[in-house]
Amino acid sequence: MGSTIIEKIIARSTGREVVTPNERVWVDVDLAVVRDFGGPNVILEYEKDFGDQKVHDPDKIAITFDLHVPAKDEKVAQNQKICRDFAMKQGIKNLFDVGSGIGQHVLLENGLVNAGDVIVGTDSHMNLLGCANSFSSGVGTTDIVATWAQGKLWFKVPRTIKISLEGNLEKPTSAKDVILHILKNVGCEGALYRSVEICGPTLENMSLSERITLTSMVTEMSGKAAFTPPHRKVMDFLERRTKKEQDAIFPDEDAQYVEEFDFEVGNLEPQIACPDSPDNVKPVSEVEGTPIDEVFIGSCTNGRYEDLYEAAQILKKNKVADGVRLIVLPSTAEVARAALDNGLYQIFFEAGAVVPNPSCGLCTTGHHGILARGEVLVSTSNRNFPGKVGKGGKVYLASPATAAASSIKGKITSPGGL
Amino acid sequence: MKGKAWVIGDNIDTDQIYPGKYLPLTDIKEMAKHALEGIEGLEDFSQRVEKGDFVVAGKNFGCGSSREHAAVCLREAGVAMVMAESFARIYYRNTVNIGYPVLECEEITKKVNDGDILEVDPESGIIKNERTGETIQALPLSGLEREISDAGGLLQYIKKNTE
Ligand code: SF4
Repeated sequence: MGSTIIEKIIARSTGREVVTPNERVWVDVDLAVVRDFGGPNVILEYEKDFGDQKVHDPDKIAITFDLHVPAKDEKVAQNQKICRDFAMKQGIKNLFDVGSGIGQHVLLENGLVNAGDVIVGTDSHMNLLGCANSFSSGVGTTDIVATWAQGKLWFKVPRTIKISLEGNLEKPTSAKDVILHILKNVGCEGALYRSVEICGPTLENMSLSERITLTSMVTEMSGKAAFTPPHRKVMDFLERRTKKEQDAIFPDEDAQYVEEFDFEVGNLEPQIACPDSPDNVKPVSEVEGTPIDEVFIGSCTNGRYEDLYEAAQILKKNKVADGVRLIVLPSTAEVARAALDNGLYQIFFEAGAVVPNPSCGLCTTGHHGILARGEVLVSTSNRNFPGKVGKGGKVYLASPATAAASSIKGKITSPGGL
Repeated sequence: MKGKAWVIGDNIDTDQIYPGKYLPLTDIKEMAKHALEGIEGLEDFSQRVEKGDFVVAGKNFGCGSSREHAAVCLREAGVAMVMAESFARIYYRNTVNIGYPVLECEEITKKVNDGDILEVDPESGIIKNERTGETIQALPLSGLEREISDAGGLLQYIKKNTE
């Protein structure tokens, strides 16, 4: 009997030939990550339990600042200082301070992610690193403390769901529309305790950035891990960034899946998740005309250069509608730099957008653009649970193209007609 | 264990269990005062709950963020155990890791009403409902999760096993 991707990665990191679903195992962790929010709890807990004891391996730790950056108040400033002091004391080199951008993307760009790695972090969207063929998962404070102390963490080997996509995407339909369509069918609890492999001919032409969009939203299906199959393009990217040869991990032909879904996405129209759940998905055309107050283009799901470029093509020579705020947020400093060099900032500013520093922005009621009661937001992010962007606000989730088109019209608008 | 059941619904997320605005709190006694405060009608739960009571929830309890406060605050508020039809993955890990295990039990919200008195044996997973006389079998913790939880949590477990 063959193995799925996650079974192979777990087997490798436990030094075994094979593992079977539901087995409990101790896994060697390649990278344990905290962020400015949550990180201070981990550090205080570590020092309470282990005092000045050296961490197991400082090179297998990363600290990313992405939520309240630069510090928005005194408490946050203090928390960030706890992180910096700890990194200094413990010799942790991988601290990505204010201005670097969203953690997972920064790790990818800085060569800290390899095919086959096991990565854990205090962020529920760690999953997205499965786009790079790594088993990456969100965990709690105690998990990270334990990993920093001993380099290992316990896992139950999950079963795997396979999602196959067929058909070529026709613009303006994008990877975001595809993952929203999948969510509608699989549901918010559909992948609970499961690993998810998204594969099929449609993936063949997808860039790393599109793969990130797909894997990031497996979190909204409650998945433990997400994977897109390793592709030459992705492996080349990893080799350039890590300066190491990559050993891609494929599922076996006869791997066992607990559930399989097939989707034909060739003639899928743009999709939108309506309040208050990411699986409450409809074609954009069904809610077209809904008045909006704000538009957000960014986040770990849609904050790559390609996403900003897509939005810029629609915003070019247009203006954001009166009474609507548009916030465009590059995911990392590298993305911001590319957007600047290629003239996208000019387009955004001329359209009347606000472009803050790379970060998670308003996601998780962080920074830059929280809603007032009763306001409506079209967001390219990944969650729209009640209160996610401010109490009493309503959030629709859509692609960068739908978001950009809606900002110009001041109401939900399908990008097709523009 | 014997206590009163507080029955709540499906998809109770970490913001309802422990609202995000209290995340900067570090004193667990303070944290306990806000347990379940985000659920409509249970804003004063921490004052009404009695030591040894149970929380009985539907599907996907603890979804949302990875915050461990959401497990810690219920223990500190006096809740003896949380039973749910299913738990969000990170929430489940967190309860094992802090030695405050939960019980997973299919359709429990159909078999238990708010205010029922339950007798629970966490070892076997057997739950008796005094009102109906019914015995309900939950999935007890086993294997490694049980060992970690019995040690008092993950950090105690690894300390014990590295000595
Ligand atoms: S953008 Fe939002 S969902 Fe993504 S990592 Fe940041 S806070 Fe989490």
